[in-house]
Amino acid sequence: MELTVTQENLARALTAVGRVASTKTQLPILSNILLRTDKNRLLIAATNLEIATTQYIGAKVVKPGAITIPARLVSEFISNLPNGQVDLKVTNDNLHIKSGNYSSIINGVIADDFPELPTINESSSIRYSVKTEDFKQAVSQTIITASNDSTRPVLTGVYWHSHEGQLVLAATDGYRLSERQLVATTSEVSAIIPTQTLQEVMRTITDDGEEVDILFDETQVRFRINEAEIISRLIDGNFPDYRQLIPKKSDTTVTIAKPEFVRIVKIAGLFARESGGSINLTADEDNKNLSIHSIASELGENTSEATVKVKGSGQITLNSRYLTEALSVIEGDEIEFSFSGKISPCIIKSTDKNTNYYHIIMPLRS
Amino acid sequence: MHHALWQSVLGEIELSVSHATFTTWFKNTELVDQNESGVVIAVPNIFAKKQFEIKFNDQIKGVLAKNGITPKQITYTIITNGKKTRVNRETTPTGEQQTADELLGTPTKNMYTQNAPLTQAGGLNPRYTFDNFIVGSSNDLAYTASQAVAANPGVKYNPLYLYGGVGLGKTHLMQAIGNEITKTQPGARVVYISSETFVNEFLDHIRFKKKGFSDKYRNVDVLIVDDMQFIAGKEKTQEEFFHTFNHLHQNNKQIIISSDKPPKSIPTLTERLRSRFEMGMTIDVQMPDFETRCAILKAKASLSGIELGQETVEYLANNIKTNVRELEGALNQLLAYAEMRGISPDISTAEGLLGNVRHSRPQHITSKQIIERTAKHFQLQVDEVCGSKRDKYIVVPRQIAMYLLRSELHLSFPKIAGELGRKDHTTAIHSVEKIEKAIKLDFLIREQVASIREKLYA
Repeated sequence: MELTVTQENLARALTAVGRVASTKTQLPILSNILLRTDKNRLLIAATNLEIATTQYIGAKVVKPGAITIPARLVSEFISNLPNGQVDLKVTNDNLHIKSGNYSSIINGVIADDFPELPTINESSSIRYSVKTEDFKQAVSQTIITASNDSTRPVLTGVYWHSHEGQLVLAATDGYRLSERQLVATTSEVSAIIPTQTLQEVMRTITDDGEEVDILFDETQVRFRINEAEIISRLIDGNFPDYRQLIPKKSDTTVTIAKPEFVRIVKIAGLFARESGGSINLTADEDNKNLSIHSIASELGENTSEATVKVKGSGQITLNSRYLTEALSVIEGDEIEFSFSGKISPCIIKSTDKNTNYYHIIMPLRS
Repeated sequence: MHHALWQSVLGEIELSVSHATFTTWFKNTELVDQNESGVVIAVPNIFAKKQFEIKFNDQIKGVLAKNGITPKQITYTIITNGKKTRVNRETTPTGEQQTADELLGTPTKNMYTQNAPLTQAGGLNPRYTFDNFIVGSSNDLAYTASQAVAANPGVKYNPLYLYGGVGLGKTHLMQAIGNEITKTQPGARVVYISSETFVNEFLDHIRFKKKGFSDKYRNVDVLIVDDMQFIAGKEKTQEEFFHTFNHLHQNNKQIIISSDKPPKSIPTLTERLRSRFEMGMTIDVQMPDFETRCAILKAKASLSGIELGQETVEYLANNIKTNVRELEGALNQLLAYAEMRGISPDISTAEGLLGNVRHSRPQHITSKQIIERTAKHFQLQVDEVCGSKRDKYIVVPRQIAMYLLRSELHLSFPKIAGELGRKDHTTAIHSVEKIEKAIKLDFLIREQVASIREKLYA
């Protein structure tokens, strides 16, 4: 293999791919990156047998070929080089890298030992094209409520499925739940994508204005953004039927400006660190008032109030961290916050009808 | 049928590829179907599927041919948890219906409660395997011997006798042997019982004249008996067990026994059983050292999907030294507490919690520790202290040990006599009284007792 690429392209691709190469595995070659010529391009890939990520960069190929090299060393070396041309050449399983005054030889392993990268049958799969802004927003809105408890694998991913003509994303960790409608769909999809995969895709998205091409197969999913490709397995199992948990109606509904809500929740949260984030919210219809109370037995206590629109008075105790996180991903300037007494879940969403997102939090027992 | 064929294919392939390659790709594969049109092999994920199709296909074809099968084609299908995955399911998933409470439990619920252990035939719990047993210097001998037994049951180390304190992993090892044997030799009859079950079944057999008792245990390939000490003092049961033992041993069937003491120290064990227990391999499972405790904590935490900081791990390992079960208890408590409060399980949380763990319970010592400490203090072997010699240099330490058993653990006199291999409890009464008196008069004895006691609680 012999070729020339630019340092900028190679460094970017290596860092993106290198994150997936893992050192914690039985198979030593998985900590390597695969370099392979593909016509006039260089394919750079890594896998941890859950995800495989691939980047293509333009190259002047003199002699086609392939090699694998340790991920960490090569990406650190390349990213420290000055901008400009980089010459890569393979002789006897070693990769010679030369750029200006810098040259090094990295011991590699022949590419035959590298696992085959999975491929997806495009014709038999379901395809979606989503604007990157929408994709980023929808994923970040749902991924925060996914569980990291590996004893319940189905909850450690985001559930992508079709429902009433929409592609819907949902995730829950048992304490809170979020749901977002992404695009209209006519096909039927039901797939749980691991959070790690989605995080990897999010990191791969660089500029807005692109499109994310998503392809669902029976057991795998592929994301393609420009020249980058991420293929991942899906989590096996059935996602719980979460829709039955959505409160049909609420006794109390509070409408409040988002900045103000964020501020009083944050302040109350300062006094709730000791009690596991527990803050007590009281809505008063007559006084048009929402007050949040929190107590830290040794430090003191706090009551913050805001003037709001209230329909039906009521009280609820929530974890301030969950509430803060929910508010951080909801769009719009005004929030509708509704609940029914101290034991039913509360539902939080924007008053803007175009947002297609809601967040549910279970109350704390108080 | 398919299983045996695939086993022999795997056996052959294992020899030709590296260990890492074999465990990464060939574990959890199965031959699911074989007919005129070809064979179907189940693989766990898309990566394995691709790898098999491209890299291993020819090799598998070759090995299948050696076994007399030349399929037209080999297809690979992804099977997880024994069922095929599908993408176009009904829009609302059915099955696994969960109620609101189960799914969105209130955050005060402890998330770390694990599923009830699944028991399978033979009394084995599949969760105990060699893979999840953590080996350190304190238990590597026991571990190695157990693996040897699992690899060649009935050949090496028969019987295998494991002893040690509570919560050190005896049951885990024995279950792992059983599970390993059932896995590698699917036809083998492995029976795991506690000696108490054996006693109860034997009593039923006598009382209700139930039939088939002797056959039940004499027709097995591997007999695993946990907590053998409970058989002590039950003459008839011991006799029955003696015959079972002989029968199995003569037919080269593997016997594995655990107890809290070495055979010598179980007081009312009949001589013929004792000598039989000692003829195989007798291994002491000891308390894990600091590094092993750290490793155990990390492994357990990552099972719950939590990464613990090194500081926290060291803190826990430093503060809980007595047994593994307690170590796990403290870890679970920490994780549950952190989850409940929505905070991270770091060192400050651990300190806050363990503070009360440590102060609320007295230092935990066992009779074994007392005897060991005393023997060590006088530079004697435990065997000597528990032995029958009556030289003065042994007799006094022996009496001190009895005194300490009485004063520290409040054991009954017959129990004390039993601990030291004595049958007569009056010896114990005499010894304790003698040392009590001596402490008042003899400076040397007083100092020695105090010094041993100090080391016990150090």
